[in-house]
Amino acid sequence: MSTLMNMVMTTSFWYSIIRIASPILFAALAAVVSEKAGLSNIGLEGTMAFSALFGVLFAYWTNSWLVGVIGALIIGALLGLMIGFFAMKLKTDIILCGIAVNLMGGGGTIFLMYLFTGLKGNTASLTTPQMLTPKINIPGLSSIPVLGDIFSGHSILTYLAFLMVFLVWVLLYKTPLALQIRAVGENDHAAESVGIKVLKIQYIALGLGGALAGLGGAYMSMYYSQSFNTGIVAGRGFIALAAQAMGQGEPVGTMFASLLFGLATALGNKMEGMPGFSSYLVAAIPYAVTIIGLILYALSTIKKVKKIKK
Amino acid sequence: MGNKTKLMFEFVRGLVAILIAIAVAFILIFLSSDDPGKALECMLLRPIISNGAFNVNSILTILGRMTPIIFTGLGVCVMFSANQFNLGGEGTLMLGGFVAALIGIYCPMAAGLHPVVCIIAATVVGGVVMVIPAILKVKLKVNEMVCSLLLNYVVMYIILHFLNNVLADRTKGQTQTLPFQETALVGDLVANSELTFGFIIALIATVLTALFMYRTRWGYSIRMIGINESFSKYSGMKVGAIIVAAQVIGGMLSGMGGAIEMLGRYNTFLWKELPGYGWTGMTVAILAKNNPIFIPFAAFFIAYLNRGCELMSIYAGVPAEMIDIIQAVIFLFFAAEQFMSKTRQKLVVKETKAELKEKQLAAEGGKA
Repeated sequence: MSTLMNMVMTTSFWYSIIRIASPILFAALAAVVSEKAGLSNIGLEGTMAFSALFGVLFAYWTNSWLVGVIGALIIGALLGLMIGFFAMKLKTDIILCGIAVNLMGGGGTIFLMYLFTGLKGNTASLTTPQMLTPKINIPGLSSIPVLGDIFSGHSILTYLAFLMVFLVWVLLYKTPLALQIRAVGENDHAAESVGIKVLKIQYIALGLGGALAGLGGAYMSMYYSQSFNTGIVAGRGFIALAAQAMGQGEPVGTMFASLLFGLATALGNKMEGMPGFSSYLVAAIPYAVTIIGLILYALSTIKKVKKIKK
Repeated sequence: MGNKTKLMFEFVRGLVAILIAIAVAFILIFLSSDDPGKALECMLLRPIISNGAFNVNSILTILGRMTPIIFTGLGVCVMFSANQFNLGGEGTLMLGGFVAALIGIYCPMAAGLHPVVCIIAATVVGGVVMVIPAILKVKLKVNEMVCSLLLNYVVMYIILHFLNNVLADRTKGQTQTLPFQETALVGDLVANSELTFGFIIALIATVLTALFMYRTRWGYSIRMIGINESFSKYSGMKVGAIIVAAQVIGGMLSGMGGAIEMLGRYNTFLWKELPGYGWTGMTVAILAKNNPIFIPFAAFFIAYLNRGCELMSIYAGVPAEMIDIIQAVIFLFFAAEQFMSKTRQKLVVKETKAELKEKQLAAEGGKA
């Protein structure tokens, strides 16, 4: 146990928490935006997979990570809009739309990978350094001991993810669009009656959400795994949904929920190499922790409601 | 719209959805294959016809592969009917297979009894696991979808732990358990094929689920809650209990499917990831419009396509994963309430006009 403590007290451990939390944070913010507009987009898992693939492909075709990231973002947004089209225009239940996108993301990405590259399994053979998102050393911060080791030297997308927490908060509370999105989420009929274009707002929310999830996908294939491989997303899109629920649908709360998941995974990774711990049971910890988190959150809200009733 | 026209319209609409999916498949095949003609032949015909004759083996394989997805499809049917988007079919099916495997390996029993005990145990365990998301939903309003999704991974990793660290047969090259005892196996319906007695059990389960959903009070309550939960509540139904029941039954069906699949098609437990039948079950349930009786037909269709894609990847080099894209397209259009709504509108207008004309004629005829 003391060896575990020693491992936890290293800066690399805290660094890895941020590294692991970033893609989940992107997807969880996507869930926050859609959920605020009253739409449960559970297709984040599949969206991330598609964006992860196309991020690598665009980057490979142009030999530029930036184009890759933008491509991933656009693919994500398009998938969000596609979900919107089926859910709002053709009235397919939005949950089913999400499941369909996840289905496609599972096998469809493997098919498309083969179609575009002729590769099976992964795209590692295509990867060049120019295709990976760069690590940023923040001047000043990076020279501070401990803090520099933890907070500096992450992928540029990691900083973007945390910046997005702020931007999403601004979007949801400080812009003219904010009120409209939340009004649609609270009661779309009421929103419509005061002249808000509900459909347009819903499309915007799903498109933005898709774009955010797309960035999460890009992070996975263009930084975290350094290539696209089958099963790359591994449930992160689902965990993001849980993070959104745990964070009570608010950007900052969701950020902490994502970091909690990062912590659980990082702990697991550290324990994995130690004798007496089963790597498989350790791998289950983040998922179990998330379920427990959901339960605790539910209990706390019920208590709150009871207090108000008294 | 008259009942007959409505039914006809629904049928045509479903057909169009399937045609769109197949058209998408055509496009993908043309893009990815050097010999699209051969790929198409493999996908559409070869599952049942090869070299100008019925391919009995392949047909039996298709029927055999239907078994697990009938079970998950039925499970999804029951849960979705109550508007419970529980996606735990994956995990419960894997767990059912695992429980059956354990009993099949370590508890010697008489030949006739052994598989029955295995299947019942797997069914019970499947139901018990689904109590978790169900109770959390009813008591704490935890989203059953998120909860069941996460639970799938927890279940998978726990099984993998036992498989790798406790039960693994170290004498074998790959990670697997000891072989099942001969007595535990579910026998072949046709010798040396993938078609086992499990298929018969699946059909019986279909009939029982259909009777349950349409001929019992509980089944009625489940469907009613799906249509209007508040109404059900105010008309005195025990909504909470019924929601739990729906998810538990769903879990039981998947668990049973897992056991039958495991004891029928394998002789040792070697699943290393979620087997995917849970998701396919959802496509099947959507195709069947949540009506248990249609589940075997939908399962046949999907199993056929699956087999077709498999053959296509063997003989024409098109990756079999294309099936997921086809399934997703079917999924999207089949469940789309407003898909072809303009056609429906036109039909209604046309029919009403015809009716009015008839009435007018009748009225004029009366005068004369």
